[in-house]
Amino acid sequence: MSSETLTIEEFQEIGKALRFLLMVAWLLPLAGFAVEIFAGYWGHRRSKMASFLAVGCIFIGFACSLGALIHWGTLTRWGHKTVAESQHHEGKSEGEGQTGILDAGKLPVEFVALADKPTAHKDADNDDHHTTSGGGHKDAHHEGEHHDDHHGPGTPAFSGGFYLLGSFGDIEIGLDYYIDSLTLIMFTMVTLIATCIHIFAIGYMSDELVEDYVDHHAHTSDGKHVHRPGRFYRFFAFMSLFCFSMLGLVLAGNIFQVFVFWELVGICSYLLIGFYTERKSASTAANKAFIMNRVGDFGFLIGLMVIVTYLGTFRFADHEVNGAAQPGLFTMIRGADGHIDLDQTVDVETGNDVNVVLLKGVDGETLTNANGKNRTIPYWLLIVAGLGVFGGCVGKSAQFPLQTWLPDAMEGPTPVSALVHSATMVAAGVYLAGRFFPMFTTEVLLTIAYIGCITLFVAATIAVVATDIKRVLAYSTISQLGYMMLAIGIGGWGAGLFHLVTHAFFKSLMFLASGSVIIGCHHEQEMPRMGGLWRKMPITAFTMLVGVIAISGLAIPGISIFGEKIAFSGYHSKDEIVATALAFMQMNEQHFLLFLVPLITAGITAFYMFRLWFYTFAGEPRDAELHSHVHETPWVMTTPLIILAVFAAGCAIGGTHGPLWLGLLNSEPIGLATGLTGQLSGIATPSHDAVHAVHSTAGMYALIVAATGAFVAYLLYGAGVIDPGDIKQQFVSLHTFLVEKWRFDELYDAMFVRPVHIVASWCVGVDRYVFDGLIHRTARTTIDVSRWDRKFDEGIIDGLVNLVGNAVFSAGRSLRVVQTGSLRQYIMFIAVGVLVLFVLLFAVFPS
Amino acid sequence: MGPILLLTLIIFLPTIGAIALLAVPKDNDEYLRIGALGVTVVTFVLTLFLLGDFNTDDPAIQPVFEVIQVDGATEPPDLKLLANYDLSEGKVMRDGQEVQVQRGITIPWIRTWNIEYKLGYDGISVPLLLLTSFISVLAMMASWSIKKMVRGYLILFLLLETGMLGVFLALDFFLFYVFWEVMLLPMYFLIGIWGGPRKEYAAIKFFLYTLLGSVLMLIAMLMFYFGSAAHSDQTSTFDLLELAVIAQNGLFDQQMQMIAFVLLFIGFAIKVPTFPFHTWLPDAHVEAPTPISMILAGVLLKMGGYGILRIAFPLCPFGAHWAAYTLVVIGAFSIIYGAFAAMAQTDFKRLVAYSSVSHMGYVIVGMAVWKLSVDTNALHHWQLGINGAMFQMIAHGVSSAGMFFIVGVIYDRVHHRDLNQFGGLSKLMPWYSGLAAGIFFAGLGLPGMCGFIGEIFVTLSAWNYSPLLAIIVAAGVILTAGYILWTIQRVFLGPEYRGPHAEEITPMNGREFTVAAVLLAFAIILGVYPPIMFDLMGGSIELLTETLQQGLENATDATSTAGLPGN
Repeated sequence: MSSETLTIEEFQEIGKALRFLLMVAWLLPLAGFAVEIFAGYWGHRRSKMASFLAVGCIFIGFACSLGALIHWGTLTRWGHKTVAESQHHEGKSEGEGQTGILDAGKLPVEFVALADKPTAHKDADNDDHHTTSGGGHKDAHHEGEHHDDHHGPGTPAFSGGFYLLGSFGDIEIGLDYYIDSLTLIMFTMVTLIATCIHIFAIGYMSDELVEDYVDHHAHTSDGKHVHRPGRFYRFFAFMSLFCFSMLGLVLAGNIFQVFVFWELVGICSYLLIGFYTERKSASTAANKAFIMNRVGDFGFLIGLMVIVTYLGTFRFADHEVNGAAQPGLFTMIRGADGHIDLDQTVDVETGNDVNVVLLKGVDGETLTNANGKNRTIPYWLLIVAGLGVFGGCVGKSAQFPLQTWLPDAMEGPTPVSALVHSATMVAAGVYLAGRFFPMFTTEVLLTIAYIGCITLFVAATIAVVATDIKRVLAYSTISQLGYMMLAIGIGGWGAGLFHLVTHAFFKSLMFLASGSVIIGCHHEQEMPRMGGLWRKMPITAFTMLVGVIAISGLAIPGISIFGEKIAFSGYHSKDEIVATALAFMQMNEQHFLLFLVPLITAGITAFYMFRLWFYTFAGEPRDAELHSHVHETPWVMTTPLIILAVFAAGCAIGGTHGPLWLGLLNSEPIGLATGLTGQLSGIATPSHDAVHAVHSTAGMYALIVAATGAFVAYLLYGAGVIDPGDIKQQFVSLHTFLVEKWRFDELYDAMFVRPVHIVASWCVGVDRYVFDGLIHRTARTTIDVSRWDRKFDEGIIDGLVNLVGNAVFSAGRSLRVVQTGSLRQYIMFIAVGVLVLFVLLFAVFPS
Repeated sequence: MGPILLLTLIIFLPTIGAIALLAVPKDNDEYLRIGALGVTVVTFVLTLFLLGDFNTDDPAIQPVFEVIQVDGATEPPDLKLLANYDLSEGKVMRDGQEVQVQRGITIPWIRTWNIEYKLGYDGISVPLLLLTSFISVLAMMASWSIKKMVRGYLILFLLLETGMLGVFLALDFFLFYVFWEVMLLPMYFLIGIWGGPRKEYAAIKFFLYTLLGSVLMLIAMLMFYFGSAAHSDQTSTFDLLELAVIAQNGLFDQQMQMIAFVLLFIGFAIKVPTFPFHTWLPDAHVEAPTPISMILAGVLLKMGGYGILRIAFPLCPFGAHWAAYTLVVIGAFSIIYGAFAAMAQTDFKRLVAYSSVSHMGYVIVGMAVWKLSVDTNALHHWQLGINGAMFQMIAHGVSSAGMFFIVGVIYDRVHHRDLNQFGGLSKLMPWYSGLAAGIFFAGLGLPGMCGFIGEIFVTLSAWNYSPLLAIIVAAGVILTAGYILWTIQRVFLGPEYRGPHAEEITPMNGREFTVAAVLLAFAIILGVYPPIMFDLMGGSIELLTETLQQGLENATDATSTAGLPGN
């Protein structure tokens, strides 16, 4: 296998090149932002310079990302080459030194032994039931076994640091990078979609290219429309800032850095949702989005706190701290075959009965603490950490119960909805769940699966009754994100991220198409006023149809051209999810809902998406006046649609044998290929083989359901055989319930918003009446005391003094009579006085 | 420039400037302002010199003097400034030889009571000195809005600066106390004369609260003075370094440490301020003129935190450890309480004031999370906490000064602060709104801006101490986002301005723009590259935590070995 290996030097060379290319792609949009926001509008509001700059930055970013992907692919034979095994072991001991020598003075391009751990074939899952009370249990039997040929051993990830934010003893917090095939694919996907959307936005936002923009949705108090200068440049500045933040999130090499960019994409989302600052609804939606995300981030923070307390590092990959090797998070938690090393002896000090032993490296050596004992983290805290970080994902990916902000976020301009609120930022939650997968215990995974399951169903039901074209897509996004979460939760790591990428293409396509419709219809978003638009907007209509077919997962069964199924991307990815769910259900029968709900929802999905298409584009125009003004949008908007339509149709080409799937699988966490089993929960995830076995069955179920959904939609909205109004009449209360979005907003308002305001007013009351009241009372008492004091002074002390004074005075006055002015008399007084004194003296002191 | 002259000038240059202003005729407002601004700028430059002299490799007090013993001389030994030296196990080495050194400037002041004019700086005070002189420059630039009795105002302002810088440089407890009080009086008059409608009330409230703190501090000071006699060559001392060494050796008994810590902590907590000693702050802020609010929030509140780190902790390690849980509870409660109270405000400035209470809560939490790290038995998490707390002080100094300035700019135009009567400012004052949003985001703790680093590091350090309190601290992020975003929405967004004096709204002038832009720039620089601060203070904080831990262990040993002095 010598041709299948890379030397460490070659490996590091690749790492340096990738680091450089991705850094360019990452930082260019930031530079773009700085210029766009400060240089403003180049003298007049009609300048398109900002948009050209933004497009240029993101397009170069795309070129770099694609270059990086190809560079990586060709040099590692798409991840099939691994670092030479013999050198690798040196690499762990001496390789550190080598790294240092090679990159003397620079940040070392370290390598991670995460993905290159030998994927051992196990005939039984007994390895996962391994329960030990210490390290060193994993003998040679894991090593030297042959690799799983199905997806190869995988090239290890490239990782290293940019700079440190701070270091406190052994705790280092900094900005790092972590590059594997998932990073590269995400970079390419994000930059490609962002480029298309930026170009589209030049057309979409062109009405901002005026000195005096009239906002028809914002009114002053006298009922007039708001007039303001156009803000074309600001839109592109924010978009550039968003791209920077999003790429930073993907590139992040530690979980803290993910959090940093997590918040930054959040604020970009805030700025873009609230782009029309004059509209109260827009700024409220922006606030809602940010605050609900912060609720999720509160969980994220708890996860971070647990991690820094027990694991002492945030980095994913192995690295060095103060000259000593420090394993990364993944290495510490997951052993060579992906299992978690448990210690079930009761810890006398902490009282925890199950602890996770932290590992030092692939060979199963454990970390020891200052007392020489194994370093551990209580198992329940590992669950807390996982749930906490997942809490962040729930917020960002608009999962139940924090899903309500995303539909409101549609207040932003449509390109924002396409980029931020469907393709990239909201998918970041799924990305993180994927990236952080090795840290999740099976209990956490099951939670993720159920959250995803609830979300995908709730959102899909609401999408059925929504009439605003963008809101349908928003609910559809939430529902699809639920699918991805579900997939990750049931161990379908590849399926979830596969769906992330395909969904990004077809959903951004559909959002842009809806944006095209909105522009074509002069800012009308209500589908009941549309209908029959395909004649006027053919390109929009057909590209949208591509997206609709893709998301519905339709395919033509039985026929294949060149060995390829005739199916769009969504078919492949959704198929994979359903297949994983079926395999999962077979292994864990009590969790059958995790298969049934997504299967049924696949039908609902097809229904509401075709409903949208038929409602909008097919049939007769329902509003003739509107229809007469409709026009196809200019090329600057349709070209991106066509490009995205190509990718929406074909990005998953080859399905589970295609490049996208295999590329993603290259980064799959260790142990998933053979399935993981929770040692305490008993939940098992299906192995690749198990999924593969049920693939065609699941695919058939999914296709039947989807086709049914699409057919019903055709009957109701396309052919008009049944009047949807009748059905609405039949289920009027259910319809209202769905239109009111399951009443989550009312519930949260009553549960959280109002109580917060009440507590806030209490706090103010406490300050005003308790503390200040106390102080004022003290002050008044003091004043009273001083008043008494004054009275005492004036009445008693002064009275006494006056008394004495008066007495002296009157004595003096009575003595006045003796003051005669006669000298003789005075001398006589003196003489008598002296005499008396002497007499007294002798009388008192006789001796 | 020798360190004695440099440090003395840093403290007293503003005073000299204040005296010089007396020579300028009263009604030359413009010259007076420019002159005062010049003084603050020169002071700032002097603190930069100080930064240049500061050796980040040496965590202890600087400047360092070599003690040259003249044979047979009974006079105090000669001192020579030591420029190049290495440190090895805490000993100062030059060319491989250990040198006997004296740290800090020491000049006898009142010999009868052994009071010294003792100055010095380390990684804890240098960032705060820089902050003080920096905020003073900006606050002086913001003082153009003061039209009444300009000369008197400027003189008091400069005296105030002397007091603040003196507090951060003093290493003699008595001297510290003097500067602490020196600062109080100008502040009283600045609020009481140039303040808003209820200025007298606010000034007296501020004065009495702070005075109460001072009295408690005075009692503690005397406790240490008389308590030190037994351990310091039979002479009582106010020298903070000597007192800290005595405490490190565990020679102050436990009960005394506990009492003294409570007294000192209340004294400093009033200044911070933490719940429940905070109600002077909203009133003082609301009534104070804008530049004074900037100083108050930017610098004065930091003195509480500084006092805890410089005096309360080193002098009573046992007491501090004993009270640590209470401190974290107080800090965590302040965070939540301040945020809730801020949310319910309708006065813009009061809201910002309560946000200070909330943000300063992090400082207390970060300082007090004194516990060995899980598994490693090191103090790393506590160091993380104190570093976070110190950073939070600097960050809050920048962001809250900025927020008060932002409030001041709009108040100068429309003469009201009712949050429900703003709106639409982003259209009327675009640059102002942009800068304001940036500064408010810094206060919100957005990554890439200063507020984030301090808050997050403190939060991260807290779990090691107490998971429950850590969760409470972390919950602050939601509330903070709530009140700040709501404020931005009510003030800057929306279709139109809804309040009075709409015709007075004009874009910012160049001076206002500069102040806000500089503050925002620093908020971003600190947020993106925090090592510029951590490199300064990291070493000193590490040293502090280690000596404190030692002091705690010695004080605990002292009792277990029946009153024998430890080590």
